[in-house]
Amino acid sequence: MAQVAVPPVADPVGDASPIPPSPRSRLALPAAFSQWALLGALLVTIAIFGALRPDSFLTLENLKSTLNTAAPLLVVALGLTVVLVMQDFDLSVAGMMGLGGAVAVVLMGQHGVPWQLAIVLALCVGVLGGLLNAFLIAYLGGSAFIITLAMSTVFVGLEFAVTGQKTIFDGIPDGFANFAQSRWVLDLPAQVFIAAGLAVVVWALLSQTEIGRYMHAIGSGPEAARLSGVRTREIRALGFVIAAVLAVAAGVLIDSSAAASSPQIGTPYLLPAFAAVFLGSAAFKVGQFNAPGTVVGVLFLGVIQNGLTMLSLSTAVINIVQGVILATAILVSRIGVRA
Amino acid sequence: MSSTDAPFLLETRGLRRTYPSVVALDDVDIALPRGTCIGLVGKNGAGKSTLIKVLAGAVSPDAGQIVVDGAPADISSPRAAQELGLTFVHQHMVGVPDLSVAENIEMGQGFPRRGGTFVNWRGLRERALEALARLNSEIDPRAQLSSLSVADQRMVMIAHALAKDARLLVLDEPTASLTESEIAVLHGVVRNLVAAGVTVLYVSHRLEEIFSICQSVVVMRDGRVVGGAKTAELDREGLVSLITGPLPDDPDADRPIRTGHPAAGEELLRVEGLAGDAVAGASLTLRRGEVLGLAGLVGAGRTELCRLIFGADKARAGTIAVHGEQRQIRSPRQAIAAGIVLMPEERHTQGVVGGFSVRENITLPSLSRFRRNRAVGVSSRRRERDAARRHIDALAIKTPSAETTTTNLSGGNQQKVVLAKWLERDADVFILDEPTHGIDVQGKAEIYTLIEGLVARGCGVILVSSEFSEIVRLCDRALVMSEGRLVGELAGDELTEHHIVDACFAARERQVA
Repeated sequence: MAQVAVPPVADPVGDASPIPPSPRSRLALPAAFSQWALLGALLVTIAIFGALRPDSFLTLENLKSTLNTAAPLLVVALGLTVVLVMQDFDLSVAGMMGLGGAVAVVLMGQHGVPWQLAIVLALCVGVLGGLLNAFLIAYLGGSAFIITLAMSTVFVGLEFAVTGQKTIFDGIPDGFANFAQSRWVLDLPAQVFIAAGLAVVVWALLSQTEIGRYMHAIGSGPEAARLSGVRTREIRALGFVIAAVLAVAAGVLIDSSAAASSPQIGTPYLLPAFAAVFLGSAAFKVGQFNAPGTVVGVLFLGVIQNGLTMLSLSTAVINIVQGVILATAILVSRIGVRA
Repeated sequence: MSSTDAPFLLETRGLRRTYPSVVALDDVDIALPRGTCIGLVGKNGAGKSTLIKVLAGAVSPDAGQIVVDGAPADISSPRAAQELGLTFVHQHMVGVPDLSVAENIEMGQGFPRRGGTFVNWRGLRERALEALARLNSEIDPRAQLSSLSVADQRMVMIAHALAKDARLLVLDEPTASLTESEIAVLHGVVRNLVAAGVTVLYVSHRLEEIFSICQSVVVMRDGRVVGGAKTAELDREGLVSLITGPLPDDPDADRPIRTGHPAAGEELLRVEGLAGDAVAGASLTLRRGEVLGLAGLVGAGRTELCRLIFGADKARAGTIAVHGEQRQIRSPRQAIAAGIVLMPEERHTQGVVGGFSVRENITLPSLSRFRRNRAVGVSSRRRERDAARRHIDALAIKTPSAETTTTNLSGGNQQKVVLAKWLERDADVFILDEPTHGIDVQGKAEIYTLIEGLVARGCGVILVSSEFSEIVRLCDRALVMSEGRLVGELAGDELTEHHIVDACFAARERQVA
């Protein structure tokens, strides 16, 4: 692209600030603007819904309910964030959500496995599924898009094999049924804290650890990373495993909240999860997938859904308005990114 | 208005374009006389690329005017430039590799049709043949573009540019990574075009070719035009000093840097019978303090041999010993652990991680050494930054800070970042694949100095270069490669450009016979 001449710096060593001195130019303002635009758009949206429905929208109860609905979506979206940082793709998370939840519920409901152990075993299924994806993609060189599309039907098939394609609500221990919705502190459901905790973990992994640095290197220059000695295959594999395990976790939370396992619970989460992660890539580290951005993306989707429902609009209008708001948000936050 | 009224085909008046923190074009006035070849030279970052982009309608100037045929022209889009007869072959322009030569040449022209709907393939081929004939090229228009050599692909891109009734042809580094004989062919094509009345703006870092084919030259520095002259009235030294500016840093280009004495150090690397996809049974040794050249024509297998030694591609046979000890090298990771490192030819995609900062690139191969706590994989940014700054100072990397995104640096400085990351990792064997490709005169001189520094530390260097003068200047010994084989070794007084060229072609002719 443009050859950017770099002006010599008088005293490169004396510069204590880790951030390059921001250039005073016409592009400086939009850059800072787009970093915060998505968060701003979220606040504006909240303000608008608040003004339209002050009695129902701006209540503590509604806040709790929005966070509770957003929690499983956030968990699966965090897994996708890790995969997308490496420019990989995982469409199989929806199938894995259903399979993971079903395995846990069937083990505890029909085979008498303690519910805590059943969850652990379901997470292990996630590890295996992620490794299978990774083997086919990172080791055999399949296209992530096609392979995970194919694996998603495999996972749905396995789920049906486990459940007989039925909703299972018999024999579920109370401990499991109360788990995701139990109130810990602040009268918020446990799954909100779990999702928030996982968000911190994924943030730390991506932005604070060596592995996170390698993940970004793979995403930004895969061949340069490999030629620098980064274990690209192993780290990509780790990404698919994380995505699958978090998908199982999301499935388990949904089944726990419902005290039942219904067929294909993951399907309605797939597109919103991707939408949230892509929305999030327009926030904070503009143009990069990042965990805090994903959190804002998920909240944004949740607030829109919740707010539009409260305006008691028809489903047709809700769908259209939701799409328009999403497209607007992403375009507004991209101002100044193309330089 | 008739196109012959004005003395110049194209003029710019007071062109100005700024980017954040840099003035890329500052009051640029140039005038291009019809039917001549004008050289455009300057260091990386001097503003040449921006100027070309403005002429091509890809970038709009903040101020100033472009005048074509004596009348102000509005070049606000690539299409507008094309309609004025301004055509471009950009440095990294590659066409569509999976399509045929004919399709690539006629791309954007509107293919000839049969019955208004279907492509008339024969007509398309004939038009392509015509375009190629104008360049005296015998490339098969049915061949897939990706099956051609780099030189032929570039010829196709020139044919593509000329297919648009070109009056001005801008060639940006057209001879980069071409061999001497291929360059001669390209120069012939340029001369014929100029004789046929086309105006050529020729961007190059190779000053010899500016003198050999350009009638005049425009020199840019820091976004300004700092000189313009007839090449006949200028000598090489004068041109170099215009390019580099007031710094008296002439790297006196023809003096051999290495004296050509065989290195006396211990053996660092021994490669025996190494074979892979484009390499047949290569054997070589490298000693401490030695610069070993790897010369050959493009496609001879030099890059492939480098990648095999580094474990980047799979070897089918052969052994590699480092410090006399047999090492299994099946991945770059294992090569790095054995002390072998590679500065790849494609620095943008393979040398540096583009989106990473200078610091992140420098510490990437040795990140685990910067841990705060040995057991936990979290590195100390402060120590990383200290290391990065140490290298920035030691190698004189020009960057506003260690946190600057590496793609914002000039080519030469990106190469220094690649070198810095390997210095941080401690390596003995440095394989440098075309380290000065596309780098300006001053950047080259700096890289030569750094190679000297590596040798002085007791490292061994394998240097691949398509500029044979570079091999002669820098190497103690050179191996010549042709068609995947090592076909000759030159050292001492034997190591001259003439002998290298001789060895390249002698081997090729033997194989053909």
